[in-house]
Amino acid sequence: MLASLQNVSKVFLDPRHGRGLVALNDVTLDVEEGEFLCLIGPSGCGKSTTLNLLAGFESPTLGKVHFKGGLVTKPSPKRGVVFQEFSLYPWMSVLENVSFSIQGIGDREEREAKAMEYLRLVGLADFSHARPNDLSGGMKQRVAIARTLAMDPDLLLMDEPFGSLDEQTRRKLDNEVLGLWKREGKTVVFVTHCIDEALILGTRVVLMSASPGRINKEWRIDAPWPRDLASPKMMSLKEQMIRHLQVCQCANNAPNVRFVEIDGLTEKDDGKG
Amino acid sequence: MEGGKVLDRQAAMAEALRDGRSHFKFVPENWRTVLRSMLAALLGVAIVIVIWWSIAELMIYWRGAVFPTPPETFSRLWEALSGANIMGDSIFAHAQASLARWGVGYLLALVIGLLLGVTFGTINRLHDVGMVPIFIIQMIPGLAWIPVAMLVFGLGESATVFIILVTALPPIVINTAGGIRQVPPVFNRVAKMSGQGGASLFLKVLIPSASLSIINGMRLGLANGWRVLIAAEMVVGVAVGLGYSIFQSRYNLDFEAAFVCIIVICLVGLTIEKLLFVVLENKVRDRLGLDRED
Ligand SMILES: Nc1ncnc2c1ncn2[C@@H]1O[C@H](COP(=O)(O)OP(=O)(O)OP(=O)(O)O)[C@@H](O)[C@H]1O
Ligand SMILES: [Mg+2]
Repeated sequence: MLASLQNVSKVFLDPRHGRGLVALNDVTLDVEEGEFLCLIGPSGCGKSTTLNLLAGFESPTLGKVHFKGGLVTKPSPKRGVVFQEFSLYPWMSVLENVSFSIQGIGDREEREAKAMEYLRLVGLADFSHARPNDLSGGMKQRVAIARTLAMDPDLLLMDEPFGSLDEQTRRKLDNEVLGLWKREGKTVVFVTHCIDEALILGTRVVLMSASPGRINKEWRIDAPWPRDLASPKMMSLKEQMIRHLQVCQCANNAPNVRFVEIDGLTEKDDGKG
Repeated sequence: MEGGKVLDRQAAMAEALRDGRSHFKFVPENWRTVLRSMLAALLGVAIVIVIWWSIAELMIYWRGAVFPTPPETFSRLWEALSGANIMGDSIFAHAQASLARWGVGYLLALVIGLLLGVTFGTINRLHDVGMVPIFIIQMIPGLAWIPVAMLVFGLGESATVFIILVTALPPIVINTAGGIRQVPPVFNRVAKMSGQGGASLFLKVLIPSASLSIINGMRLGLANGWRVLIAAEMVVGVAVGLGYSIFQSRYNLDFEAAFVCIIVICLVGLTIEKLLFVVLENKVRDRLGLDRED
């Protein structure tokens, strides 16, 4: 086991209303070494929060987050993140962005050589001197992936890296990520809200549900790659997942959230759930 | 056959790029915008002059006041620029003295303002307390600093520099702190994830990310400091300076000289603002990968 959340709850304070918003409620999740774990679930169910806890950007309100046997207290290059939002520094060139993340290693030339190596890996060596804003959305995310891979993390946390891309580009980049995962033997936690993407990539799929965020169900997928989504097995898996998503998504479209009253610390529904 | 077509098209593309037809900002368009903005500026100046002139004539007619008209003022300005003395010194000496005082005051404001701004911008707890005095200082008009400056420094250069410093400071602090607080959290996270903090985080992430806001503050501070010149030079005690000359004109009733100094103050201020800051801002926008504002 590489990393784990143990009975983790995460409450975000909302001082204006004197209450807390329960983003995660008693989540326990083990990340096995070498697996490709896909987290799926509706918007607002706490997928990013889970990733932020694993990365060390957030600390759990209750419970513990472990990585390689130690408690996670702060971010580390051992746990690389590819962020959901645009995260490249627009004032640096593509190459500078990648070599910035390996600031601690060797001298400047060494860093740039290493950065180039990873840019080549994602097929962007020709754009090393371009500015991020001159790249397309897919290229930007590939740079972000190169940047994170260059840090040589043991755990790769990817937060809907291709969420804003078209289907075709997403498929292509999915395959690239899959190739990287196989070649580099890293452990990946991959957040998506797209069931197909999870089915194509994951060795395990964990479904989360909202209000409050919790783990609902998980599936192991041992089919080899490339996977055929039209195969009976995949179809039936997909059907199950859709059914589970519908069950836990409630009638309401907006994610229902639970609140904690801060002074008494009593939990109660906000009436919608 | 197909290959030939592609090559043809490539040649056509290369040619289009060469004579700039395919660029969004091609030359004629640019020329027109420059011309249009120059015309707008000229029209604006003309409006100011018309209003000024009408008021001058009205005052002369009604009150028999010696209100300087634009032609009188401009001819006096021309004389001054050709070397005639105003209030005992050449206009250049006045401008130089004012610029020197303002320069010292503004540089001090920059150093202090950036340090305070960066501190308040990064440490939340200091921000809430530290910004209060800054907002209070910002509300105090330039003239109101005169008694304070005189009590602390007496008459002289230090009092002048102090007034310039204290009026230039608040916008620098406010915009620097604000800019740093608005750095997207993900920019911080990227740095922390790769194990960086301290100087590297500051110089390579926070400052560049906040740079437009910081420059804006510097620009407002510059304008504030320059505009307070008259108030600041009331306490200078030495008989040279643009603000000092304006202030003195009421004793010897040489209002033309005052108007000349006002024009010079405007011109110098506008020139510094345009030359220094428009250039600086465009550079930074370029660095940030943003489009230029034009
Ligand atoms: N920093 C924060 N402060 C307050 N509330 C937060 C914060 N981060 C997340 N939340 C809340 O926690 C809940 C879960 O958010 P999270 O970002 O983890 O969702 P998500 O599953 O990643 O959604 P999406 O698919 O839209 O990215 C949301 O209700 C959100 O409003
Ligand atoms: Mg998210």
